Amino acid sequence: MRRRPGIGGLQTAAAARDQYRLVGENVAKIRTDMMKEQLATFRSQLEEFARKHKNDIRKNPAFRSQFHEMCAKVGVDPLASNKGFWAELLGIGDFYYELGVQIVEICLATRPHNGGLINLQELCILLRQRKSDREAVSEDDCLRAISKLKVLGSGFEVISVGKKKLVRSVPTELNKDHNEILELAQAQGFVTVEEVERRLSWTSGRAIDALDTLLDEGLAMLDDGHRDGKHRYWFPCISSNSTPVADT
Amino acid sequence: MQKLGDFKLPHFFNYPPYFTLQPVRDTREKQVQLWKDLILDYCRTQKIFVIGLEEEDFALFSNPVIERSLSHEARAAFLSALVSEGRAEWLDKGHRKCLILWHRVQDWADIIFRFVKDNGLEDSVMTVEEIRSGIESRGTELHGIDRTILMRALRVLEQKGKLAIFKGTSADDEGVKFSMEPF
Repeated sequence: MRRRPGIGGLQTAAAARDQYRLVGENVAKIRTDMMKEQLATFRSQLEEFARKHKNDIRKNPAFRSQFHEMCAKVGVDPLASNKGFWAELLGIGDFYYELGVQIVEICLATRPHNGGLINLQELCILLRQRKSDREAVSEDDCLRAISKLKVLGSGFEVISVGKKKLVRSVPTELNKDHNEILELAQAQGFVTVEEVERRLSWTSGRAIDALDTLLDEGLAMLDDGHRDGKHRYWFPCISSNSTPVADT
Repeated sequence: MQKLGDFKLPHFFNYPPYFTLQPVRDTREKQVQLWKDLILDYCRTQKIFVIGLEEEDFALFSNPVIERSLSHEARAAFLSALVSEGRAEWLDKGHRKCLILWHRVQDWADIIFRFVKDNGLEDSVMTVEEIRSGIESRGTELHGIDRTILMRALRVLEQKGKLAIFKGTSADDEGVKFSMEPF
């Protein structure tokens, strides 16, 4: 449309914008309709798939994980509600619900030892020991179950420290300093004050402060028994104590 | 799992910080609880009745695998906790020796009572020494029981009229006359 100067010109421009907008909305609507139809088709195919492969989904963690990804792509959450189509079809709502309950139990049971922070790997190992061998449990399953727990407001959270994932079951907030210490501790399961100062370039005060807080929260334990006389701060959530730990 | 002889050691025994008395109260409470249970368990299975704090031969106080030892303070703390609970007693004012009651005195009294019944000794006379090392005691928990503890348990039963303790011919030869009604 040719631009004309003056008020008339402005009115024309406005009318033109309106026209474009209408066309735009129409196009969007058509696209949306098409997408909705595609999604509906995809969903029913997904349901068909789920029906056919119900057993595989229940028994095979890798398969289950891929199934979840497929569902996510089409905006389906099989765990959204315990009742309803998906839960009934697959019964996997129950699977994750039960898993969630067991996770809570394990976290509570290990809390005296690790202060409410547990290594995801260790959690999975303990879970597998509890479950009958019929249904395998993967880390992915754990993470999903925990995310459901979060929705219930139970204070559970997964935090990443370096290469590891830790499951937190207490309201203790870990700040960045604490996180860095935990990451440092992953190498040997413990840190010394000197090490923290040196590797993170902190002042002595900052290091001791952070370590004391971790001690107070029950996340760290003190060890003054090494023959070199240096105090070590051990983190039960980092080291699994099913293997003997010795450093010389 | 690490073992001391036949005894299976719990996981925490191999985790160095558990050999340091923890400064944070809550953590320390959990630590003390674990050690109390371990000490009682170990003494029961090894039939240890007395622990000397300074001695090097109580195996639980150090773990050479991780090169850690409990300090004197830690040992005293754990044993004192057992004393507070009535599962141990200091034998001296200096708190250097501790009597471990992995069975309480009352439990020992019950064991003696059953022992007498099982062996048909309701009317008999036995020396104290025979109770703890005689043929009948073999294979029972009474075998090798600490004399101090045995005397305490016997006195409990004496109070209830189940037996009478008397001095024998020599200075430290005590005997017991049971008077429990047979069934």
